[in-house]
Amino acid sequence: MRFVLRRLGHAAFLLVGVSVLAFFFSTLAPGNYFDEMRLNPQISAEQLSALRAEYQVDRPMAVRYVRWAGAVLQGDLGFSFAYDTPVAPLLWTRARNTLLLTGTATLLVWMLALPLGVWSAERLGRPVDVALSWATAVLLIIPDLALALGLLVLVVRSGWLPTGGMVSVGFDTFSVVHKLQDVALHMVLPVTVLVASALPVLLRHVRAAVAEALQAPFLRAAEGHGISRRRLLYRYVLPAAAHPLIALFGFSIGTLLSGSLLVEVVMSWPGLGPFLLEAILARDLYVVIGGVLLSTLFLVAGNFAADLLLYWADPRIRAETTGR
Amino acid sequence: MSTRSRLLVCVAVLGALHLGVACAGFFAPNDPAAQDRDHPYAPPMRLHFVDAHGGLHLRPFVYAQALRVDSFDTYEEDRAKAIPLKFFVRGALYRVLGVLPLRVHLFGFGDDLPVYLLGSDGYGRDLLSRVLFGAQVSLLAGLIGAGLTLSIGLCVGAVAGFWGGWKDEVLMRVAELFLALPWIYLLFAMRAFLPLAVPPLKAFLLVVMVIGVVGWARPARMVRGIVLSAKERDFVRAARGFGASGGYLLRRHILPETSSVLLTQAAILVPQFVLAEMTLSFLGLGVPEPMPSWGNLLASLQHYNVLVSYWWMYLPALAMVPFFVGYLVLASLLQGSTEAYKIEGAGSGV
Amino acid sequence: MEPVIRVENLVKRYATRGLGRRVEAFTAVDSVSFSILPGSTLALVGESGSGKSSVALCLSCLERVTAGQIWFEGRDLSALQEQELRSVRPKLQLVFQDPANSLNARWTVGEIVAEPLLVQRRISKRERDARAAQVLEQVGLGADYLERRPRELSGGQRQRVAIARALVLEPRLLILDEVLSALDCSIQAQIANLLVEMQRAYGLAYLFITHDLGMAAHLADEIAVMSQGKIVEQGPAAKILRDARSPEVRSLLGASPVPREAMEGVREL
Repeated sequence: MRFVLRRLGHAAFLLVGVSVLAFFFSTLAPGNYFDEMRLNPQISAEQLSALRAEYQVDRPMAVRYVRWAGAVLQGDLGFSFAYDTPVAPLLWTRARNTLLLTGTATLLVWMLALPLGVWSAERLGRPVDVALSWATAVLLIIPDLALALGLLVLVVRSGWLPTGGMVSVGFDTFSVVHKLQDVALHMVLPVTVLVASALPVLLRHVRAAVAEALQAPFLRAAEGHGISRRRLLYRYVLPAAAHPLIALFGFSIGTLLSGSLLVEVVMSWPGLGPFLLEAILARDLYVVIGGVLLSTLFLVAGNFAADLLLYWADPRIRAETTGR
Repeated sequence: MSTRSRLLVCVAVLGALHLGVACAGFFAPNDPAAQDRDHPYAPPMRLHFVDAHGGLHLRPFVYAQALRVDSFDTYEEDRAKAIPLKFFVRGALYRVLGVLPLRVHLFGFGDDLPVYLLGSDGYGRDLLSRVLFGAQVSLLAGLIGAGLTLSIGLCVGAVAGFWGGWKDEVLMRVAELFLALPWIYLLFAMRAFLPLAVPPLKAFLLVVMVIGVVGWARPARMVRGIVLSAKERDFVRAARGFGASGGYLLRRHILPETSSVLLTQAAILVPQFVLAEMTLSFLGLGVPEPMPSWGNLLASLQHYNVLVSYWWMYLPALAMVPFFVGYLVLASLLQGSTEAYKIEGAGSGV
Repeated sequence: MEPVIRVENLVKRYATRGLGRRVEAFTAVDSVSFSILPGSTLALVGESGSGKSSVALCLSCLERVTAGQIWFEGRDLSALQEQELRSVRPKLQLVFQDPANSLNARWTVGEIVAEPLLVQRRISKRERDARAAQVLEQVGLGADYLERRPRELSGGQRQRVAIARALVLEPRLLILDEVLSALDCSIQAQIANLLVEMQRAYGLAYLFITHDLGMAAHLADEIAVMSQGKIVEQGPAAKILRDARSPEVRSLLGASPVPREAMEGVREL
């Protein structure tokens, strides 16, 4: 229990810290921000001075931060100048779509990396392993921007798959099954890019972790007892490799979240990515801070889940924190 | 081949590539900024050795392109006009390293009719030349950014590791914060809060600064680890025993131990930072027109019609590949087999 | 005769962080006192963990003393600030156990031996190199060793370099922390003889720290036996060996062979 509390406290610290950082950066050139808004014809002079007063631009940063933090804790992420509505509901819909994409990609990439990693770790150095290493090296070399754009160029002419957006025209009239199918088809390209960009690194690390676990002496003993290969792998080897693998899981979430921003923009997937970009270009301050905070929340939550998983999986950690 | 000679070959190849980029003006047949509104989105011209009558020519040549009479974006070869490839031609003025003005180009086609080996963009500018000059911008951004990150990481890691105490705690907590953010969001957030409409040179510097500041946390942690263990080595203690000051110890004994890690990190970071610049510029947050960079050369692909009809606009994305390969091979050679498995070392996603 | 160094009630405690942020104190040295006369050798003998290395670190001022005094040339070293210590340090040098660790592998032998001069005095490079060559000669290595690197040398040669480095500032006291333990048996004798030679030539005092009672018997005038941070027996070398009162001495005797000459009169164990 203490472990859970400690990690929770750590996660909270990270979120607070990130919010402070984000807020701090936003105040690096506060004058510029509101000055640039003056050039924006959509915002009238009265609106501007009202905004300046409301956001207390002239007050010290600490005061503004506390006020803002208080609002955030109540679920109020501020106000979007571009959309003229509160930020939070705008972000939530987009966040849901990003989670859908990133979540699916995470699932798929691990479903591929684990078996492939175990398989090649068993055949370390043999031709199949070497071939797989070369294939992943090729994937590693292609930057995700090139991959995303390349796939688009290839697919756009053939028309097999939709090349943008999340839903087709007339989505609301579709039956439930058709709706699912439609979204799934739209997900194919972005998920493929995400998986292809994250797989090489993950695979390499899984392979290394499993290879190391395979060398443990206790395995020989288990083999000598006549335990089947499959049981050995999944009941003995993987748990031994759990520690680095679970840390890797947390790392993979970060990579995929970062990757998803670009992929969403290129493939016009309506997630946090394009929304954030739009907000940046429109100088929509609170949307940007809110977006950064939300993505950090996902990352921190993912890592926290990984920590919990680790706690459950690795008895050494339990012993370390409860008794002596 | 031993690791050492493999390393030398790798460095030599990378060096040659960079040298080529530095002399982009020499290798580029055209002026990257020269527009030709009569030939927007012209497809790549093919080099021929055999002419329409079946005659073989030793010197390759290109057929001039003209817009087909009835369309606005389809080109066809004009078999009547053959333009031969010439070497060491006199062409547009360029400056090597921004200083030395030269006019000689490695190859060219004479400047009366436009020739596009990789096609042209919407303004009729030669894509090949723009890719070569864009390489200068993107690679420089990556190199300077990596230098900045490693410098910051070195200072922070040295202070945290050597003096320890509260400085160490504070610095490492801040590092954790930077590592907690998905790095692209951090990059964007930083870029977002700086002025957007800036002249190209200033934008470039801004981009480099943002990229350089974002990634210091991981190198800092690595340097700190090395400093912590080096501090306890007996030769450091011995030096303390003759009265050496902290600064001396860091300078002469401890920091030299970090050199191999820093080199490896440099090889890993440069391609990542080039990619970061490409991403920022592609999305309009980086180096703006008319300064070419690999990123903004790809920006037009965000338009559907370009994506469908003008496939050669994708080619700049592939320009990065040889450099990527070079740096990755360099990094893995430098790392050796032992450290390749640590999460903190490899990875293309920071 | 005035002792070169006099240690009074030296205490060294380390604070370790136990799990759950409790600060536990570990007493490595528990009120130790001894003194060393000029030109003589005191051997500090004990098993690993007895606190001998902590004494070495405290004496050479690489660790701060928790309590007690170290009287050297009329001043209490434990009370001096770092700036004041700078002038004292050349006279008290520490030689480490493992030369592979105590010599910076990236430097040449010449640079290593001349380093104390570089840190302490502002003399020219030529003079530094000359002095380094001179000291290297004394420890039995020729001037051609100046350009070599530690990895090209054998264990014994490296330890000679370490000793040369310690001698270059003309110290009065050398603290030798297990300097023979990492060497082969045959080389141990060579280095031990070198140490005796240097002592005779320069009137050096030695604090010879070891777990090997036999070696201590060979080199030391006085022996102090340490166990768990305290000195359990102290006195002239021959007496300690002959009487072998405490259980620690007896187990140490059992652990390492003592040359016959030192054993006259000792009961069969």
